[in-house]
Amino acid sequence: MRECKILVRSPADAVQSLLFVVMVVTLFPLAISPDPSVLAGIAAGLIWVVALLAALLAAERGIQADFADGVLEQMVLGNTPLWLLCLIKAFAHWLSCGLPLLLITPLLGTMLALEALEIYWMLASLALGLPVLSLFCTLGAMLTVGLDRSSVLLPLLIAPFLIPTLILGTQWVQSGGQSFYGYMLAALLSLSVVTLPLATGVAVRIAVSR
Amino acid sequence: MLQVNALSCHRQGEWLFKALDFSVSGGELLEIRGDNGAGKTTLFKILAGLFDDFDGEVKWDLPGPPLFVGHRFGLNAQLSPAENLSFLMALNQGASSREDLEAALERFNLADVVDQPCRNLSEGQRKRVALSRLQLTDARVWLLDEAFSALDAKGRQVLTELCQDQIAQGGAVIFSSHQPVEGFGLTKVLALGKSL
Repeated sequence: MRECKILVRSPADAVQSLLFVVMVVTLFPLAISPDPSVLAGIAAGLIWVVALLAALLAAERGIQADFADGVLEQMVLGNTPLWLLCLIKAFAHWLSCGLPLLLITPLLGTMLALEALEIYWMLASLALGLPVLSLFCTLGAMLTVGLDRSSVLLPLLIAPFLIPTLILGTQWVQSGGQSFYGYMLAALLSLSVVTLPLATGVAVRIAVSR
Repeated sequence: MLQVNALSCHRQGEWLFKALDFSVSGGELLEIRGDNGAGKTTLFKILAGLFDDFDGEVKWDLPGPPLFVGHRFGLNAQLSPAENLSFLMALNQGASSREDLEAALERFNLADVVDQPCRNLSEGQRKRVALSRLQLTDARVWLLDEAFSALDAKGRQVLTELCQDQIAQGGAVIFSSHQPVEGFGLTKVLALGKSL
């Protein structure tokens, strides 16, 4: 609830992610080739890479402020379970970064000459994959918050963990929706939702004791 | 309520404090004194449970966590005092009604800024927002690190009254302050640092 309000008060954050994605996707046809067959070949990979980068860029947003303002301290001290608060933080990340991306994907797909069915699989893979990215990014942000040069450390630390999601997501689209990849992605999502908030909670405890 | 045995803590190779023993029970005020850098804030963090790199024992005998107001107030700059307060209360003991929140803020003379974003508020105003929690909480022990600084005379008076009420109801207050605080009766003092 609080996170939604913060998002509404600073819509620039969500717009920033969206703008980044749209800009990169627009530049690619200009820089490489406007040929639809070339574009359709790289489209799935491109959208996924941009999604991953956008998620990483947005990771520290809000959490840095929460650390400086002492909100994280109060989160640790309160009666509310920390994993639940961390899950909400991840949800807020998804809300400001994942959801706008998901909504604009049909447009991006059309720009990159994807066919309707491929856009459908693209949406499915992003719907399952973006929450995983958000969960990992929240974990990474909590691990590095308050450290010097955290913005350098964070991508280095978290990017390797995002790659399985990227591979499964792009393969799912490129294989035309082979159910194996879908199931793996869904499994990854369930596993992340259950385990990562707990790990993030521990990271918050460490962060506030610095 | 609180029993501390042989508490020692060092940072960067230097002892901040060594073998501290003290206890706090219901109806007591404890003032922690010390120069800048003497370890007051670290001690508060240890007592609150935020910092666990220490030797010794800190035993709480309380139904819920103590309430901690430190140098960082836990207020988001985008949200209004009422929203921040309601979030902080929700973290601990569930929702508070809008009337309660407004009454608490009004006592600290913040009625005009209830719905302004906190980034527009001055340091002293934000401190008063953070301290408004004291009127809503049911925590039995308050940990107030430098709570009296940056407050105007009116704010200090309200805070003193709140602490007195808390003591009268059998709670306890542990605070630190650089200026002497008027209006408190019997206060235990714990001195930290070289002046010890």
